[in-house]
Amino acid sequence: MSKHVEELVDRKCRDIMDRKNIHEVGRVAGIKNYIIEVEGLDGAAYFEKIVIDGKAEGYVSAIGRNRIYVALIRKTDDIYVGDAVHTTGVEFKGIFSPDSIGHIVDMFGVDRMNDQKFDNTIELAIETPPIPIMDRGKVSRPMQTGITGVDMIYPVGKGQRQLIIGDKRTGKTQICLDAIVNQKGRDMLCIYIAVGKTKKEIKNVFYELLKRGAMEYTIIISAFNDEFPPVIKTTPFMGLAVAEKYMLEGRDVLVCIDDLKRHADVCREIGLLTGTVPGRDAYPSDIFYTHARLLERGCQHKDGGSVTILPICETKGGDITDYISSNIISITDGQIVLSTKNFEKGNKPAIEYGLSVSRLGGAVQTREMKAVGAVVRRQLLAYLEKCDVYELANEDEMSPELLKSMRNGKAIRNKLRQYKFSPIPPEEMQHMFDGLVDMS
Amino acid sequence: MSLGRIIAVSSMRVEILLDKTDVRVKDIVETVGSDHKNRFEIAQIEGNLAIAVPFDSVIGLTRGVEVDRVDGGLRTEYSDEILGKVFDSYGRLIDGNTIENPHTKNVYERNMALKEINTDGQILWTGIKVLDFFAPMQKGYKMGLLGGAGVGKTVLIKELIHNVYKFLQSNSVFIGVGERSREGKELYDEMIEGDLLSKMSITFGQMGENSMSRSRAVFSGLTQAEFLRDELKQDVLLFVDNIYRFVQASSEISAELENMPIDNGYPPTLLSDVSQIEERINSTEDGSITSFQTVFIPADDYNDAAVHAITSHFDGQIVLDRKVAEKGLYPAVNVFRTSSKMIDIEKVGERHYNLVAEVLRYMTRYEELEEIVAVLGIEELSKEDYNIFYRSRKLRNYFTQPMFVAEQFTNIPGRFVKIEDVLDDVEAILAGKYDTTDENRFLYISNLYDYKKG
Repeated sequence: MSKHVEELVDRKCRDIMDRKNIHEVGRVAGIKNYIIEVEGLDGAAYFEKIVIDGKAEGYVSAIGRNRIYVALIRKTDDIYVGDAVHTTGVEFKGIFSPDSIGHIVDMFGVDRMNDQKFDNTIELAIETPPIPIMDRGKVSRPMQTGITGVDMIYPVGKGQRQLIIGDKRTGKTQICLDAIVNQKGRDMLCIYIAVGKTKKEIKNVFYELLKRGAMEYTIIISAFNDEFPPVIKTTPFMGLAVAEKYMLEGRDVLVCIDDLKRHADVCREIGLLTGTVPGRDAYPSDIFYTHARLLERGCQHKDGGSVTILPICETKGGDITDYISSNIISITDGQIVLSTKNFEKGNKPAIEYGLSVSRLGGAVQTREMKAVGAVVRRQLLAYLEKCDVYELANEDEMSPELLKSMRNGKAIRNKLRQYKFSPIPPEEMQHMFDGLVDMS
Repeated sequence: MSLGRIIAVSSMRVEILLDKTDVRVKDIVETVGSDHKNRFEIAQIEGNLAIAVPFDSVIGLTRGVEVDRVDGGLRTEYSDEILGKVFDSYGRLIDGNTIENPHTKNVYERNMALKEINTDGQILWTGIKVLDFFAPMQKGYKMGLLGGAGVGKTVLIKELIHNVYKFLQSNSVFIGVGERSREGKELYDEMIEGDLLSKMSITFGQMGENSMSRSRAVFSGLTQAEFLRDELKQDVLLFVDNIYRFVQASSEISAELENMPIDNGYPPTLLSDVSQIEERINSTEDGSITSFQTVFIPADDYNDAAVHAITSHFDGQIVLDRKVAEKGLYPAVNVFRTSSKMIDIEKVGERHYNLVAEVLRYMTRYEELEEIVAVLGIEELSKEDYNIFYRSRKLRNYFTQPMFVAEQFTNIPGRFVKIEDVLDDVEAILAGKYDTTDENRFLYISNLYDYKKG
């Protein structure tokens, strides 16, 4: 013990000699919501972890000429001007426990169900340099969701980022849950990141997965919607840091982020409060970069592991061309668009096939699936397009060729209806459309 | 004595108190003392206070750290060695290669005089029907590929690399700005597989990188294209995917520098930033730069200030439209907004010019008829409108094309189509020679002769 103290004293003396960290204690000078201005602390490093008088924690979000700005992440008691502020000499990191699998956790290694911290924990850097381009491999292995409209028409591969976008109540989260449940027995680690969700919603997700035995290989990393915005902002990065850790160990990881629109709104709130120059729709001008560097962590690593991301984005009035949505669409490798119209018509999953895209397409399907998928998609799209024009046309006056394609198209459309949590194995999918599509 | 020391830090901005005054904007400085060196580029100077933009993450950086100047500013390789290699935005190799005797050049130096610029050039066919027909290309042209998110810009530029670069076999430069790393790696792998990399130099500043990296990638890559044009006196192909991301990165930097924004958060220097780059992409008597540049349309807003600033430099543009993509018609070209300075009787000849005008007349009428048909049905159309309606649908389908790089989506091998065939086919469709053929048969074919034969 005394050796430890000696070492501490020694280090402190050395630091003083090096003119580092002379003022380790600063004072709270201003409080603006969850941003604290601190005087002193000349030696504070950017993104260093900061403690305020034992009652709050935060990180250095900016170093000004005379003050530093601390973003609060936790608070147990009220903060007053003049409170002592300490630097810790360490970078602000998230805490993760390998025992979290099967639990709802936060980014500080705490089990949210009983508010106990896990014993076995490690620290993970929240912001890491991007995976170098040359370390990335080709995305080619299929990630089966069990949903025909996805696996066959707009497939997702391991290492792909496929956006799920649509209005409220169109079944966005359901697609993620279906995908997670379908990973059972496939040696995939699943991470569901809840960004600013209500506690009720998170608990529901937990029970849905638990009931189906999916929590055995799933971690729910959550930031509730009443937590400090800096926590909501950093939680998805933490979730991806966990995913990246497992990927580098050679594991395949599936990450769902629910949802990025809320995340963008939190970033906007922080940006406006800290006085950054607002960009389009008052979002901070680096909001694209924020989402890009988050989602770019999804990849197929050349050493075998992969991170597949299914981010969710909520839209209003079915408009997928608003600023945040189109930003995220331009980052991801494709999007599954869900519409209220389809949902209400009972065409569930409510996929809008015309607007959905997979940029990887057949590259992530097996040869058999690709052969059927390409034809089914082409026929389906041709049918949907013709629907508008020939809606009023008289069937008797149609050419036999047209009539057949209209009837087959409709049949394909109906076959794609699928109830939640009822995955279809790929072998079955390949034969669902026998007789409906012309494979020659 | 060092140049100065850091007195303030935020994610994309540091303030440096200067001890010396011989500092210029765009000088590069780096931290001294620690093993991990942070680099910054000076952006503004006020008296003895300089504001600088970091190259990489500043996590762990503290006040009081001393900085020193790096001689020569931002530089990239300027020799034959660039071919077959991959660089990052700051001129560093990232593909594991090394260059023995580097010969570098500052990336901001070049500026072109009016007398240098040459505007002549011969016509350049791309083999893509809809492009060659509506927006033909000429050597030395700047062609923009515009589109919102997810309508196929990158696939189209890859097809152009495939068709034009492979065909011409001229040296080329690819600049990846703010796009997906996955696509960057795929391009690299495809170039290696096709044994095409030896004539290409690639610079990447992808979307996972910070705004400094994304904005400087263009300068670095461009300097290498200038080497091929100015020193080797060659005809160079330049592919930029995506030039909008350059403006976007500049806005991020500008916001950190606390400059007042114009609309939508764009920097006040929007027009000059774009001109600075685009004016360097030109041809001289000795060599030419022919460029294809993709432009992302934020929020599908074609009136966006940045999009306007960029497109005003182009000789032609190909506009991709979500409404067309929705119908499964690729390349999803909006023929009304697509244009080229080549569409001129003197350049492409009377026949081509007239056919374009006639097709546009048909398509315009078709758009109007579509609404009428949706309400009244097809039976209500007059004979003439009936023909226009069906022939337009056939033309629209005819202008789809199987692409070499999209074989994985379509399962149909790509085709290079000659312009003469396109003109013949379009003429025949307009003349009603195919009135009895089902419209679906026009989808994803090369030309009608091959189709009939097969």
